[in-house]
Amino acid sequence: MAASFVRSCSRASRAITTVRFMSNVPENTVYGGPKSQNPNQRVTLTQLRQKHRKGEPITMVTAYDYPSAVHIDTAGIDVCLVGDSAAMVVHGYDTTLPISLEEMLVHCRAVARGAKRPLLVGDLPFGTYESSTNQAVDTAVRVLKEGGMDAIKLEGGSPSRITAAKSIVEAGIAVMGHVGLTPQAISVLGGFRPQGKNIASAVKVVETAMALQEAGCFSVVLECVPPPVAAAATSALHIPTIGIGAGPFCSGQVLVYHDLLGMMQHPHHAKVTPKFCKQYAQVGEVINKALLEYKEEVSKHLFPGLSHSPYKIASSDLDGFLSELQKLGLDKAASAAAASAEKMEHSETPSSQ
Amino acid sequence: MASSLTRNCSRFSKAISVRFMSNLPENTVYGGPKPQNPNQRVTLTHLRQKHRKGEPITVVTAYDYPSAVHLDTAGIDVCLVGDSASMVVHGHDTTLPISLDEMLVHCRAVARGAKRPLLVGDLPFGTYESSSSQAVDTAVRVLKEGGMDAIKLEGGSASRITAAKAIVEAGIAVIGHVGLTPQAISVLGGFRPQGRNIASAVKVVETAMALQEAGCFSVVLECVPPPVAAAATSALKIPTIGIGAGPFCSGQVLVYHDLLGMMQHPHHAKVTPKFCKQYANVGEVINKALIEYKEEVSKKVFPGPSHSPYKITASELDGFLTELQKLGFDKAASAAASAAENMEPSK
Repeated sequence: MAASFVRSCSRASRAITTVRFMSNVPENTVYGGPKSQNPNQRVTLTQLRQKHRKGEPITMVTAYDYPSAVHIDTAGIDVCLVGDSAAMVVHGYDTTLPISLEEMLVHCRAVARGAKRPLLVGDLPFGTYESSTNQAVDTAVRVLKEGGMDAIKLEGGSPSRITAAKSIVEAGIAVMGHVGLTPQAISVLGGFRPQGKNIASAVKVVETAMALQEAGCFSVVLECVPPPVAAAATSALHIPTIGIGAGPFCSGQVLVYHDLLGMMQHPHHAKVTPKFCKQYAQVGEVINKALLEYKEEVSKHLFPGLSHSPYKIASSDLDGFLSELQKLGLDKAASAAAASAEKMEHSETPSSQ
Repeated sequence: MASSLTRNCSRFSKAISVRFMSNLPENTVYGGPKPQNPNQRVTLTHLRQKHRKGEPITVVTAYDYPSAVHLDTAGIDVCLVGDSASMVVHGHDTTLPISLDEMLVHCRAVARGAKRPLLVGDLPFGTYESSSSQAVDTAVRVLKEGGMDAIKLEGGSASRITAAKAIVEAGIAVIGHVGLTPQAISVLGGFRPQGRNIASAVKVVETAMALQEAGCFSVVLECVPPPVAAAATSALKIPTIGIGAGPFCSGQVLVYHDLLGMMQHPHHAKVTPKFCKQYANVGEVINKALIEYKEEVSKKVFPGPSHSPYKITASELDGFLTELQKLGFDKAASAAASAAENMEPSK
């Protein structure tokens, strides 16, 4: 029953969508899986507004590819952010600066393929929106048009940045602001340093958040500021704030996927995991253990066993094969084949799982 | 002592690397300290030795920095940046859509993370089939721009053998790939095991040998019956790397996500290949962690005090409250004041 359901979903989806479609791929091998029949399940700004009004915290997690997007969708997270943090956690750079717009768009598309329910927000990467308002609008358009995102996020609160945000909103693109520690600005900030720790800086956080709201942003991320400062901003705004390293008084929280999952277990990486990030799992250790076990099993000739060697050749074909090999002068190969066929038969006993 | 070593490594690496930010304290440098021993990379010589001694060669795919680091840490011999990225990373239904530029991005990220395993990059569909010169150009880019040590290409047609030979002559090590070649599902009629009848089985052995003749240092055998793989392995003097090809190959390869059980959704469980053993259920671990995060945020349990590390001194806070009131934000000022009280250490 499940199989025919899958088949009809597949047929339905083939009728409606995609250009990229291979008729010779049986649907039960279609990696993307059955396409859902309900297209209107996407989280929208309206739903976020409702959550905010009711005082229900908004959840946000970053994703950079298809599997992480599927995971975030499955877990019911509200917002999926394709962050320029990809530069660090996916590409291994030391900062978020090197990633290009083309690379971000590839990440966006992969995430869009995987996450059908969460609101999709794409970061504008360093260097793609700062030099003029035109540039900012063009970049934002590409993130929605080519990246398949629902909204964009940009960093900073300088006047030119506020103007850019406003123009992007006027172009019909929802914008999430980002104040406090803005990682693209570490050059002037002098590193990944928390902000809002003195009066002037704290006031600036609140003021720029309000200016971004004024410009039409639907939300503002507050990064690495003391909790009272975040509380002030959250209270002063009527749009929701999403905090990271900003304490518990924001309207919602965001964390980086890899940090949340403890993806990197190497001692150095443990050192660079931010202090404000709770690790809800130690995926890095799970991965390490699995890879070591794979390596051992292969090295000891334990993998693959019978249960992982599923493909058979009929004995008549096998005999014909052996003859052909001998005709070609490959006698050693023929005996190897014969011996292996026998070995596979004799290990038919239920020892290996 | 460890931190001064780190600082020295950092200073040393700063002397050599172009991409360098002087305002980053080295303990926040995500890439980590660079090792001082550059000659730890697995080479063809090492693989030849393993093969000679009958020690199975381990290969796993990787597509980004963290997976590359994991493979390196686990001591896997060969790291393959596979065009399987098209499916497991990008969510396409086949390996066909991925472009060379996208593969190069994957290659570079992996090169940044894996310093010890031999790095092999797949030539993606459409980048090497039309002529030998196209094949050589693509292979060159994979090494030059992708930072790989060798390339892998699929197939055993005459033109493919010629292309492999030309690439080897250009000085680039080549791994062949016969049996089920996923880029050819159009003619194969799907992801179907090969070598199941006489002609097909003989073809597997013959093309493997032709690829060896062309100069390949290894051949991947995918989804063929074990006796056929045994025959090919015996007939060749170069190592065979099997996937879904039984235990008689010189080594094994698996796709990272499949090996780890990365996708736990029932449908994805269905499309995990039968020959792949899942050594973990990372998908379930991830799902559990995300649901717990969601719950803790929804119940306002996260972040607690231990995850709200940034402080503002009492004097700065007072000044801040004053400024807020001057600006007319009285509500905000009280919110800040009660927040500060709330955060007082309640241990």
